[in-house]
Amino acid sequence: MSEPLAHSDTPDDDVIRLTGVNRTFDSDPPVHALRDVDLAVRRGEHLSIVGPSGSGKSTLLNTLGLLDRPSSGAYWLDGVETATLTDRQRTSLRGSRIGFVFQAFHLLPYRTVEENVMLAEIYRKTRPGRDRRSRAKRARAALDRVGLSQRHGFRPDRLSGGERQRVAIARALMSDPALLLCDEPTGNLDSENTFSVLELFDELCAQGMTLVVITHDEAVSRRANRRVRISDGQLSQEIV
Amino acid sequence: MKFRHRTAAPEPDPDPEPAESSQEQPNRPERSRRPRQRSAERRGTKGVERPWIDPRDLWAEALSGVLARPVRSALTTLGTVLGIGTLVITIGVASTAANQIVGRFDALTATSVTVVVPPPPPSSDTAPLVDWPGVDAVDRLAGVETSAALAESDDTSALQVRANDVITPGVLSSQTLAVVAASPSLPAAVRGDILVGRFYDTGDIARHDRVAVLGDQAARLLGIKEVDDAPAVFFNGHSFTVIGILGGFKREQRLSTSVILPPTTAKDRVGLDEVSRVLVNTSLGAAQQVARQAPVALAPNSAGALTVLSPPDLSKARKGVQGDVNGLFLVLGLVSLIVGAIGIANVTLVTVMERVGEIGLRRALGASRRQVAGQFLTESTTIGLLGGVIGAALGMVVVVSVSAIRDWTPVLDARLALGAPVAGAVVGLLAGVYPALRASRLEPVEALRAPS
Repeated sequence: MSEPLAHSDTPDDDVIRLTGVNRTFDSDPPVHALRDVDLAVRRGEHLSIVGPSGSGKSTLLNTLGLLDRPSSGAYWLDGVETATLTDRQRTSLRGSRIGFVFQAFHLLPYRTVEENVMLAEIYRKTRPGRDRRSRAKRARAALDRVGLSQRHGFRPDRLSGGERQRVAIARALMSDPALLLCDEPTGNLDSENTFSVLELFDELCAQGMTLVVITHDEAVSRRANRRVRISDGQLSQEIV
Repeated sequence: MKFRHRTAAPEPDPDPEPAESSQEQPNRPERSRRPRQRSAERRGTKGVERPWIDPRDLWAEALSGVLARPVRSALTTLGTVLGIGTLVITIGVASTAANQIVGRFDALTATSVTVVVPPPPPSSDTAPLVDWPGVDAVDRLAGVETSAALAESDDTSALQVRANDVITPGVLSSQTLAVVAASPSLPAAVRGDILVGRFYDTGDIARHDRVAVLGDQAARLLGIKEVDDAPAVFFNGHSFTVIGILGGFKREQRLSTSVILPPTTAKDRVGLDEVSRVLVNTSLGAAQQVARQAPVALAPNSAGALTVLSPPDLSKARKGVQGDVNGLFLVLGLVSLIVGAIGIANVTLVTVMERVGEIGLRRALGASRRQVAGQFLTESTTIGLLGGVIGAALGMVVVVSVSAIRDWTPVLDARLALGAPVAGAVVGLLAGVYPALRASRLEPVEALRAPS
């Protein structure tokens, strides 16, 4: 079952390109969490990764998010070969290319919505046109993109779950990432809020954002252009 | 060749951040750690920046971390407040008290030595203990700047002195003044000034001239302002020409109400013969030595009979005071400071454990291990600094209050005032090292599983 998951030969066209990635954990017996994974995600693509728990979903997410290193194989993120990077460089790459959206939102409860969004930028060198002074303005723009600009002064605990997740998405968008990596983004949301977040994903996708959504929710995965199933550490394409 | 410090090296450190596996995950494989050749790091890493944080952002993050739990932060500072406060109070009160004691010995007192010559037994006809020419021996001692001999006696301490010889009934024209004899170096020895005229010289003494110099108060009482017209004073049936007025006494101020005569004249006319006091001015620091040597120089055979009035030894007094006050309380302050540091370390550690999710988030947002450690270090340093500032302020209030109650002049060293907050910050910094290391060692994967 080696379907051609990689569909492009020029790595620069792909935001994500995994070739022959393995990840084993040295337990007794050893756990083979990822087996010979090949995956390519084009710029602007909306990919969903589905699979039951224990299938290697989290390991794949951690690998894609540069939170974990593969045991073997190559991972190109936005044209950068990550295997040879030091941890500092991986940290920096993670901060600049990947926007994370977590199931638990991970908003700081003691900071305002706006400050939470601005947090995405403080660990990066200022770039031209993105200095500290205009940071609040950019945070408002990111909040505007998720439809929450009127909530900028609120604390997260005064927002609904869907609003919190949209703040988290605004934070992910703030650093202008090449990839939005979402881990069960609707796992803590009711159906109404789930719907609003999914609508937002569609909008972002239409704007050209690359989305990788890891979920076990069929309704969420159905929205994607392309679905990939993972089971026992192996990927298989699903035709939508 | 100097060894270049690791963090200063342009290449990424070989091991600034342990690989993202850790001991906490025993099921991880031992990483197939590639030999990280430096060339590989430059290859295929286009557009990879280094993690970087603006100091203002670091400060803002740390401050909001501290302010997020204001009560806890305030309680955490208490230990440092007590420690720094105790140190400031101890040092401040000690220096204030020492200054209080030292303040009594200004330069004048510290350089003034007086040798008191006891009056000879009335019956004996032995030679006086100290004679007038013998006083010169004191001048030859090392450290002596000026000296003068003075003769006073009970008989001449209250003589009726008049400014004219006309006795008008009903008008009190005489004043009760003391008459003393002194060597011609007296103005220098009492550090006085000749206000009018001149002081008598050795010529006057040798000629037994009937001249007198008035102390400024005595001159005022007698109504004598000028000496150009050679005014005279009368007492004991003799007249004396006033040739000068001496004022501005810095020591032996009582001489300002006396009539000062040359020794020879005094012996002839008033019977003042025996030297009763020798005033010595020394250079700074020489007083103790001069005080020991002066009696021997004045009366080699009976030095023990002379009484020496000398300033107490300053250095011993100051050390004594500071030693007494400092010892115990300094230890107390240091102990409080250590307890404060442990408190900060403890609370920061608890805070780190509570904020695991936040640490995971920051790592996901691109914070390096160093930046995470830096944030917690900054937070603990801020708490220490805050404790130092409050402690120093409270300590100074106490020092000033104690001084006000005791009517002392508070002495606060500027270095103490500025150093105390710095010491608090250092305590906070040291206390934060372990919690910051713990925070930086957290694995992002693990940390993100914790609720934020």
